[in-house]
Amino acid sequence: MTVATQGERGGAVERYTGGGPSGLAEVVELILDKGLVIDVFVRVSLVGIEILTIDARIVVASVDTFLRFAEATNRLDLYAHGGKDLPELAESMMKGGAKGKTSGAIEGAVEKVGEVLTNARRRRDDEDEDEPEEQPVRRRPRPRRREREEE
Amino acid sequence: MTATYVYGLVSADTELPADLDGLGPSGRVSTIAHERVAAIVSDVPIDRPLGTRDDLLAHERVLDAIAERAAVLPMRFPAVVEEKGVVQELLAPHQDRFLEALARIEGLVQFTLKGRYEQDPVLREITESDEEIQLLRERVRELPEDASYYDRIRLGELVVDAMTQRREVDGRNVLERLRPLASDVSIRTMAAPDEVVNAAFLVARDRVKQFDDAVEDIGLDFVGRVRFRLVGPLAPYDFTPEG
Repeated sequence: MTVATQGERGGAVERYTGGGPSGLAEVVELILDKGLVIDVFVRVSLVGIEILTIDARIVVASVDTFLRFAEATNRLDLYAHGGKDLPELAESMMKGGAKGKTSGAIEGAVEKVGEVLTNARRRRDDEDEDEPEEQPVRRRPRPRRREREEE
Repeated sequence: MTATYVYGLVSADTELPADLDGLGPSGRVSTIAHERVAAIVSDVPIDRPLGTRDDLLAHERVLDAIAERAAVLPMRFPAVVEEKGVVQELLAPHQDRFLEALARIEGLVQFTLKGRYEQDPVLREITESDEEIQLLRERVRELPEDASYYDRIRLGELVVDAMTQRREVDGRNVLERLRPLASDVSIRTMAAPDEVVNAAFLVARDRVKQFDDAVEDIGLDFVGRVRFRLVGPLAPYDFTPEG
């Protein structure tokens, strides 16, 4: 994604168009776990990605979240008391978030395409011999809530 | 055996943009057609696992470049199949379903809108309007860190609750204003308490300007309280049936 018209219209909204270098986290959120899945592809679907994206997405309202917001409220300069500076706060907020959890792990969890295709073929051969099919990916229930409306 | 990467599906008469840059060693992107439907394909690096940053970006870049002008159904990343399987296993057996799904998104593009509270102004607003939060805040400030642990949790909980209540009102307001301009809306789960809106909109190409103007108006109305990011036009990632 590239910044397209930022500033062009008064800057109230940051605008990006698809297709271009952008943060990995944003692209992961945009494309992973979305799109058509066909039987033939399930066999070559790569292990790990789905689980990772779910982990990255969930930031539960936990004690950790409460403490972060308490800290932010505490540092707030309500009546010009002073206090610790904002960059430090921003840093601690970032550390608590889901950023950076995905990239390395995605790469680590994926099998080589060549191997996967070979395995898929082997699995297909196994099926011919009436062996139970091995489930390549166990799907977890997806936490994403969907609400749709047809016009 | 040649492994082929499949980005998505288009109707067979779709012309691809000339400058697409794929994720395979050749960088080329082309189509394999079967009757009225075509798969957007490229070669695949077979000496390493798929799933690098560049692979993900290429998948998105190719699909979104096509989506700028034509209806495209994204495949879920990463979709790899043997070359001969593209027609035999993908296109031929599923053609009717694909054409039906393509017809449903014809003339429509996705936009994703995210809004997040500006932290300080909204925390200030919350603190000033809630006496319990003010009292807790004073107590926490006076106590040493160890002694204030439970008070800090309680303070944070109250702040998060207040923020969630606010975002329900603000988020609903944003969605209600944009819904009439979209033919479909998909609301994503919001992870952090300061997220106000995170939704995908399926917008008719001839209403994009109108939609964009409405987002701009919303941005102006919330200026200083909410930061908005609008991404699009995109392939209809959130409106593609899974199976």
